[in-house]
Amino acid sequence: MFDHTKEVKLVGTVKEFQWTNPHCWIQVLVPDPANPAAEPVEWGVEMGAPVELMRKGWKPGSLNAGDKVTIVINPLRDGQHGGLVLSVTGPDGNMIGRPAPTAQ
Amino acid sequence: MTTNFICGIAVRSALSSAVMALVLIVGFVPVARAQTSSKARVEAFAKLPNWSGIWELDAFVGQSDGQQFSAEGQRRLAYYATAMKPSFTAEYQAKFDAIRKEVAAAVAADPAHPPVTHQPLCGSPPFPATLTPGMYEWLVTPEETIFVSTVGAVRHIYTDGRSHPPKDELWPTPTGDSVGHWDGDTLVIDTISTKQRLYTGELSGFFFPMSAQLHFTERVRMLDHNHMQIDYTVEDPLALTKPIHAVIVHSRVTDYNRMTEEADCEENERDPVVNGRFTTVVK
Repeated sequence: MFDHTKEVKLVGTVKEFQWTNPHCWIQVLVPDPANPAAEPVEWGVEMGAPVELMRKGWKPGSLNAGDKVTIVINPLRDGQHGGLVLSVTGPDGNMIGRPAPTAQ
Repeated sequence: MTTNFICGIAVRSALSSAVMALVLIVGFVPVARAQTSSKARVEAFAKLPNWSGIWELDAFVGQSDGQQFSAEGQRRLAYYATAMKPSFTAEYQAKFDAIRKEVAAAVAADPAHPPVTHQPLCGSPPFPATLTPGMYEWLVTPEETIFVSTVGAVRHIYTDGRSHPPKDELWPTPTGDSVGHWDGDTLVIDTISTKQRLYTGELSGFFFPMSAQLHFTERVRMLDHNHMQIDYTVEDPLALTKPIHAVIVHSRVTDYNRMTEEADCEENERDPVVNGRFTTVVK
């Protein structure tokens, strides 16, 4: 499903943080830098299970709607706006949780 | 005169001492038996190893938010894949090659949506369930050891001396039928009647087709405070030319202190299987 040879950096605003089983998801609204007036594109990015994220430093309230984030992902192969999280940088500029070894 | 209390009501009766003695015996024997039984059970417990705590497969230690493996985790995965590579008989190699060819064609037809050739994210974890993601507990009692995982596995390993049921009372289930015995501090587990498929070190790989003679032996012991070791052997004289053997290692979880369910797929499954392929719902 994911293209592990490619990385995409998403700079945008959290629409929703889904702290759910079996996996957590971040819905993030990403504006097009070349066309800021256009409607931002919604991406859905996948992480692990809540309890596994908790072990890595996340909490259900780690992200909230409106938070500015930078997320690096392996994109979906099918071209949809989705991917697998490699790292998440929160509103304070610090990485949250445990990023992928390649992203540290 | 003697005063007895029945349901809170004082009843005076002229019970003879003999009747009173009978009442005492009838009334206290079950309690006395329970105390003896409990004492014996405590003594039996005291002889068992302490496997308390929470564990995970060593390969998963240090996994990242997106479930990428650490360098050491990748090395352990490679070991499991190599150690558990089956050596099939000609008949089963042909079966396996046919499946592999079919899967390769399906992948080529739609690389973005891989076919389901292995355990989907949800459902009963495949046997032995000691190689799957999540956290594990081993609950050791004199009568049985129970292995549970946060992704839904529950294995009962009976150590009370019972045998497997007769063949006409068995049918394949995800966890099969396990009986065990203690060899010092090592639990020796014998399992039959699992689903006729083999989940190996290729953690996202195939379920290999196997025969009804599939048979597992595990020797489980604590290596040190932070590690459990499972000598894992798979035999199937119809499907394998030689047994599969691997040394599975579980590491103690130190960053979390309870078992929390993580396989509730009804809540928000966004990687559904559609027409036999994995898909993703991005909104």
